[in-house]
Amino acid sequence: MALLEVKGLTKTFGGLVAVNNIDFEMEDKQIVSVIGPNGAGKTTFFNVISGYYPDHEGTITFDGNNLKDLTPERVASYRMARTFQNIKLFPNMLTVENILVGMHLHLNSNIFDIVCNRRRKIKEEAEAYERALELLKYVGLEGKDNELAKNLPYGEQRLLEIARALAIKPKLLLLDEPAAGLNPKETEAMKNFIIKIRDELGHSILLIEHDMKLVMGLSDKITVINYGVKIAEGTPLEVKHNPEVIKAYLGEDTATEEVA
Amino acid sequence: MEQMTGMIPQLLIDGLTLGFVYAIVALGYTMVYGILEFINFAHSEIFMVGAFAGTEVLLFMQSAGYLGSLPAPVALLIAIIIAMIFSGTVGVVVERVAYKPVRTAPKLVAFISAIGVSFFLQDAVRLVEGLWKNAFYLSTPTLFTASIHITGGLRIPVKVLYIMVIAIVIMFSLNLFINRHKLGKAMRAVAQDRNTASLMAIDVNAIISLTFLIGAALGGAAGTLFAVQYSLIHPYVGFIIGMKAFTAAVFGGIGSIPGAMLGGILLGLLEVFGAGFLGILTNGVFGAEYKDVFAFAILIIILIFKPSGLLGKTVGEKV
Amino acid sequence: MEKLKNLLQVYWEKEILQLAIIFLAPLLLYLFSSSGVAFILFLTSFLVLYLSKRLNTKVKLVIAIVDLMVIMPLVGFANTYYLDVITQIGIYVVLAIGLNIVVGFTGLLNLGYVGFYAVGAYTYAIFATAQANNFITSSILQFPVSGNWFWMFLVIGMIAAGFVGFLLGLPVLRLRGDYLAIVTLGFAEIIRIVLNNLDKPINFTNGPKGLSPIKPPAFFGIPLNKTIHYYFIVLILLVITVIVVNRLNNSRIGRAWTAIREDELAARTMGIPIVPMKLLAFSIGAAFAGMMGVLFAAKQSFIDPSSFGFMESIGILAMVIMGGMGNIAGAIIGAFAVVVLQLHILKELSNFLRGLTVAGIVSISPQLDPAKYERLVFGLILVLMCIFRPQGFLPAKRTMAYIKKQVNKLKKIEKEEDVSVE
Repeated sequence: MALLEVKGLTKTFGGLVAVNNIDFEMEDKQIVSVIGPNGAGKTTFFNVISGYYPDHEGTITFDGNNLKDLTPERVASYRMARTFQNIKLFPNMLTVENILVGMHLHLNSNIFDIVCNRRRKIKEEAEAYERALELLKYVGLEGKDNELAKNLPYGEQRLLEIARALAIKPKLLLLDEPAAGLNPKETEAMKNFIIKIRDELGHSILLIEHDMKLVMGLSDKITVINYGVKIAEGTPLEVKHNPEVIKAYLGEDTATEEVA
Repeated sequence: MEQMTGMIPQLLIDGLTLGFVYAIVALGYTMVYGILEFINFAHSEIFMVGAFAGTEVLLFMQSAGYLGSLPAPVALLIAIIIAMIFSGTVGVVVERVAYKPVRTAPKLVAFISAIGVSFFLQDAVRLVEGLWKNAFYLSTPTLFTASIHITGGLRIPVKVLYIMVIAIVIMFSLNLFINRHKLGKAMRAVAQDRNTASLMAIDVNAIISLTFLIGAALGGAAGTLFAVQYSLIHPYVGFIIGMKAFTAAVFGGIGSIPGAMLGGILLGLLEVFGAGFLGILTNGVFGAEYKDVFAFAILIIILIFKPSGLLGKTVGEKV
Repeated sequence: MEKLKNLLQVYWEKEILQLAIIFLAPLLLYLFSSSGVAFILFLTSFLVLYLSKRLNTKVKLVIAIVDLMVIMPLVGFANTYYLDVITQIGIYVVLAIGLNIVVGFTGLLNLGYVGFYAVGAYTYAIFATAQANNFITSSILQFPVSGNWFWMFLVIGMIAAGFVGFLLGLPVLRLRGDYLAIVTLGFAEIIRIVLNNLDKPINFTNGPKGLSPIKPPAFFGIPLNKTIHYYFIVLILLVITVIVVNRLNNSRIGRAWTAIREDELAARTMGIPIVPMKLLAFSIGAAFAGMMGVLFAAKQSFIDPSSFGFMESIGILAMVIMGGMGNIAGAIIGAFAVVVLQLHILKELSNFLRGLTVAGIVSISPQLDPAKYERLVFGLILVLMCIFRPQGFLPAKRTMAYIKKQVNKLKKIEKEEDVSVE
């Protein structure tokens, strides 16, 4: 069974059809990219999947659960994590606290454990702290645990956001333009990092990206959306040579040229 | 039952009068909210300042002997215009001093600042009146004593008619201004999208000040009408009226100008009828003392079930 | 002059001045137990103590305990006035900490906090006066209940106020921040109006006439109605509150609250159920108010609806804002500052001016009595704080100290267990 299965997904804003009847599927342990020109409906697609727009049409099945009409918090509880195009950290919390918030779903101490400071809470908190430090180290932010999230440089904020998403132990990680605003060197590092996350931690990854080089270099499968409609799907090589895709990106006249 | 039907005409008049006052005050809340998405908590005190300004003008005219020689409607008009200028000025100053510096801060901060202004103005007026008149409860001179006899025991005081006419004129001119005048259109543009409006060479700061000016001037007018109608004012009179007017604005759909008018009038009627009938319906167990509960309960219920109000549009959360 | 300034600076850096305040202020208050200046200096010494870098936490704790458990009661023997003032401050500190959970931690503006305080106060007052006989027949229970019940009512008041908070929060916590503020304000007004009018058809609250005499607390039948008794009760409740709220703040729940304040959508994306979490903050905040309401009723022995007006809510809000949102120490300092301002600076100023008038030096209109202009002062404070220092005087500083302590504690426990196994 597919990890994520989307059927006939449609989302309209007033008269505007942002996502139009999209079918989509991805398997476990895959890296899949959604690409498309600006305003094609990629982020809306993401937002629908992560539960922000309950009033959509079509079905979304994730890990055997039907996600229709769910809230973001329920979707997260099925262990789907995401990052945001315009980074959404908790700016006035420490980096390590940001990650601890991401672990919320895995911490079970109830209010009595907390008020009475019971042993299982102490243990849980201590372990969570250790793991948060490990996660920081894993994304390359070792030693930055005592800094406020807002004081990190831009690139490190992106990494922290990914670390926070990883704290959910996601079955599926959604990355919304992880390379936006990064220079070519950083983008290359991000690419390797995403592959590392899949290979070492075994998370499945779905990403939206503009940077073709990044997408072509790491995806198992690419889905192309334009004007809210899926226009192509396949391996990087197939998509690269698909005339529809070339047309969407470069316009009618240059349909013979290649994308990347 | 008969007792109730007999009360209806009187309650209708009272309810409409109150409703018009609410409606004009509600306009101030709704205009500012429409532009800044900010509840101007101090608007109730702008209203109160207007009530004092209007009353002081009337008192001055009385002591100077003009009140007898001028026709009463003219005196009222003069009082209203001066009160509008005074309140409008206070409104703009408040915006510049207490709101503009916190415009980019979290909403909570601006709101708390507004609460601060509200308290400050209450006691500031008390202080000024206390030093000047040695008392801070003022009774407004009586302008109109006549009333028109209709049928049976029903009489409509002339005062009420003037108040209603003035209120209607104010609301019509505001509507005309917002929809026809260039500045009114600019205000609507800023309300829609502040950044885009500034790209269209609209001076956003000036438009925001203008909004406060108009809203506050309306509050001042309403204050004077209120003082003339109920003839006793004090520095703390704004709080309850303000809460009710805010309820009215939410009721009609906050951000919507016709909504504020409709909401105000409906709330005035609901409150007066509710208070009038509650005692009869419950055999005197619950009476008019619960009329404020009535208004607050309406507010809570609307916010829970239809936060967009009667004429407002639903605003989605931005992701 | 320059030399003196430098000298002061050196002393300040070496913390000689601070240490002098910390150690001398309690002594001064002990010696001059009726001096307002000594009292304010004594309160200031707590702030200095909190900020001191020289002394470690244990020493600070010992000094605070000596100040509060020894010096203050001794001062109270000579002059109960300041003991009473500090008891009132204690009540406000707990209220400010409770409101801080809602406003500071979670970022929900609650303008009707005093409504929950009223719920607690009336819960006790109705049963600890003869009032409850009006609706409970004497064959079941005779009222007033004895003062021994006070302790039970602390919990009942908490539960009652917490439950009311839950009921109010359930529908309204989905609202946006400023709407929520207005609704809570409306709620508190409704409570006040209802208390004012619920003397008919059945006399529950005795309306505007209020309830009295409310039974003082008792310990195994011994009535505790002296200032010193209330002082210790408040102190105990305060310590419990600080511990409980500190633990909550440094837990998954506290982090969830802060996350909601920082970015609601991101918090939801992390799987935090925001409505239940907000409800929890709202109810716990309300519960602390309810608990203090019970104590307030017992201490005053008379309550009426006028003690629970909007101004009171704003006063508590001012404490939270002045001290620093989201910080327990900030709430404490805020409460100190506001009460001192209300009870001392304004009142003393009034007395001073009145004295001048009576002495015929200057003639000042009684309309100008500073004590009557609380709203002006609080309004000004709120506006100035918002413009110049929205984070408060003692802003929350985020550290991982608490969780690190937990780690050490765990290691210690585990080590001990290893030893015992061997």
